[in-house]
Amino acid sequence: MTLAVNIAQGGSNNVTMRNRIINGAMVLDQRNAGAAVTPTADTYTLDRWSVGMSQASKMTIQQSSTVPSGFSKSLSVTVASAYTPAASEWFGFFQKIEGFNSADLGFGAAGASTVTISFWVRSSITGSYGFSLSNSSQNRSYPVLYTVNSANTWEQKTITIPGDTSGTWVGATNGIGLLCIWSLGAGSSYLQTANAWGTGLGLGTTGQTNWITNAGATFYITGVQLEAGTTASPFEYRQYGTELVLCQRYFQKISGSINGGSYNQFANMAYENAATAWGVIALRATMRTQPTTAYNGTFTLSYGTQGTLINDANQTGGDLAVIGWTGGSGGAAGSSTYIRANNSTAVFISFSAEL
Amino acid sequence: MYKIWQKNPDYIYCIERLEDHAMIPLNPDNTDYQEYLRWLEAGNTPEPAEENQ
Repeated sequence: MTLAVNIAQGGSNNVTMRNRIINGAMVLDQRNAGAAVTPTADTYTLDRWSVGMSQASKMTIQQSSTVPSGFSKSLSVTVASAYTPAASEWFGFFQKIEGFNSADLGFGAAGASTVTISFWVRSSITGSYGFSLSNSSQNRSYPVLYTVNSANTWEQKTITIPGDTSGTWVGATNGIGLLCIWSLGAGSSYLQTANAWGTGLGLGTTGQTNWITNAGATFYITGVQLEAGTTASPFEYRQYGTELVLCQRYFQKISGSINGGSYNQFANMAYENAATAWGVIALRATMRTQPTTAYNGTFTLSYGTQGTLINDANQTGGDLAVIGWTGGSGGAAGSSTYIRANNSTAVFISFSAEL
Repeated sequence: MYKIWQKNPDYIYCIERLEDHAMIPLNPDNTDYQEYLRWLEAGNTPEPAEENQ
């Protein structure tokens, strides 16, 4: 066996971490744990993967066990309600790659690296499908078509795209470095010249398949890899824990039900005054930016005081979250308590810093 | 719809998105905050601030 090793830094294809896509094998689904969802707007589903839509409730998304050899999970999309996109409408899914993870490709300047994206796809509808690479402002894009040759059959696709030497790309920041978009239907406003960098957001070209028009159609994808260079290397498998931490930079969920308990504790707190207590949760990975905090289910303090969970964003950074309980009564300033689930296994706190 | 949570007018804790009770930081890199700013620019007004001393 011959192993090619390239340790150059700029636009490099190192043996490890060469895949710029996170959760390309679709193994992580922190939000829905494998349950199907039919979103009403652009929504993150499987970790790092967002569905995009111009009309609500047309597509159902789910982590699936229908896979090609060598994979355990895929992302499945099913047409929930067939729809013909108007000129300015589109349907599909995408992943945004952070600038820190793509800056070395050098887009926006001479010498920008060629990139290759490879993935496994299975669709009930044959034909040409649109894929596009775009920048943060969506005013530079490279639409390209790939073909699904056989219905309901796993096929691996490889697309090579020359680096864009024009336009504004965010570089080494926590903004959107690259936007990778798979179209499942797009109106004429999104159809541009294929295989060329252009202005605006092109998602495909004339003659592409509008999969979304087919009632009950299915589309599966897994093994997604974007790497520097002109050829697709074998899919880079990462250990589950490594992939999880990569995902947790953008979304993390602290569940109270890991042991099936109904009163699990989440954080120690101290009363600031009779009505309000504060506590700290150490985040599991440094997040991309200050996260949005969401609380699901019924919480209570140690002795059952009712109130509302809030968040002190001023003191919540990428590493620590400061959560507060307010609206209660009877607390003594400086005394301790803790926040716990209130007879529920469905309780969790999530932190989102998605792009 | 949104509601502001604050200690006082000079110290805002976060902005609550009422549809899912998500607590959003006032940080321009946070996409939920960017969406809130677009909502404000569209002429909308958040619910009166909830003040927690």
